[in-house]
Amino acid sequence: MIEQLLDNNMQWASARVRSDPKFFQRLAAQQSPEYLWIGCSDSRVPANEIVGLDPGELFVHRNVANLAPPRDVNFLSVLQYSVEVLKVRHIIVCGHYGCGGIRAALDLERRGLIDHWLQPVADLAHQHADHLNAITDFDTRVNTACEHNVRAQVEYVGRNPFVTDAWRRGQKLAVHGWIYSIRDGLIRNLDYSVSRMKDVDALSRRPWFPDA
Amino acid sequence: MGRGNNKATIEPMPVDLLKEPLVWFFAEHYRHRDVCKRLLDLAGSVKFDETVLLEIEHFLEVDMPLHIIDEEDDLFPLLRRRCEADDQIEKVLGMLSGEHASDMHDANALVALIKKALSDKRGLAGYADTEKVVPPFCQSQKRHIAVENAVVLPIARLRLTEGDLQSLGQRLAARRGLPDPFVVAS
Repeated sequence: MIEQLLDNNMQWASARVRSDPKFFQRLAAQQSPEYLWIGCSDSRVPANEIVGLDPGELFVHRNVANLAPPRDVNFLSVLQYSVEVLKVRHIIVCGHYGCGGIRAALDLERRGLIDHWLQPVADLAHQHADHLNAITDFDTRVNTACEHNVRAQVEYVGRNPFVTDAWRRGQKLAVHGWIYSIRDGLIRNLDYSVSRMKDVDALSRRPWFPDA
Repeated sequence: MGRGNNKATIEPMPVDLLKEPLVWFFAEHYRHRDVCKRLLDLAGSVKFDETVLLEIEHFLEVDMPLHIIDEEDDLFPLLRRRCEADDQIEKVLGMLSGEHASDMHDANALVALIKKALSDKRGLAGYADTEKVVPPFCQSQKRHIAVENAVVLPIARLRLTEGDLQSLGQRLAARRGLPDPFVVAS
């Protein structure tokens, strides 16, 4: 029932005030998050909750398959605002194993509009088709593609002019690539972190597969 | 006890080894083999052993799925990132991942059989399905574990970094609701 959500909200706000009477006063005055989260829309990956952060501590952008498309005005607005106005220190691209978007991009079924959104993932999979197809178990292939997609998005973000301009200005800013498992609630650091242009170039030179 | 194994219960989880995650995997594989041995003993007996049946049921429903996550969502992806071309790891990992998927299917059939035995208070040998379910499951498990011990874990020892092993050990613990094994309790 939809009314339940409103009741839940009432209880949540009331509990917050009981434990911290000035919580909402502080929150209303300003937001100064240190982190921008680029994650998947999947309802099982609640950004704030899995990293233990309160409202106000994480600026969040979510879409299907946690993409950072260089021509998506929504994403670009979030990126510019977070880097230039909020001056976040860390951008986290967090994918998750078993992502339905990545699975859809790999299974070649036609689904309509979403196929267009997922085209960058399909292109990436196509680029590495020989290696990905060597992974016989489809779920494992999807999970490997989920990791690769995180890396690709870290590279896109690291080459985005809003980010490179920030680095040129001497602004402290790092981009990280993580992956979350819905099966255990744990995040894995994929070691794709970049904090300057040289790091992005080095990441781009890294092989995608051991024998690539 | 009338069984080939002297101990009444299966080995406990080797929590003291979480600081050395690859040794933990070896120890967990030992537990898997122990469970298989007990299952085969039970499959050949009409005696009802509630304690061991409950332990095996718990192992199949809780410990085994966690172990598969340990490997599928942690150890194998780490190896895929760290291994070199000469390791030729993908073929082995691909085969093992495929087996993990069928392991859970087979484990479910086994759990159904155990639940029936617990409800009827009968030994496993009394069921026609036992021969179809238990020996193939145990054989497949033993072969699977042998490959992991002989191929995967030695390569992991070679390729994973100190940092990999520490974060792996921390996640093995967290997945089980245990404290960080690398933090000394004050």
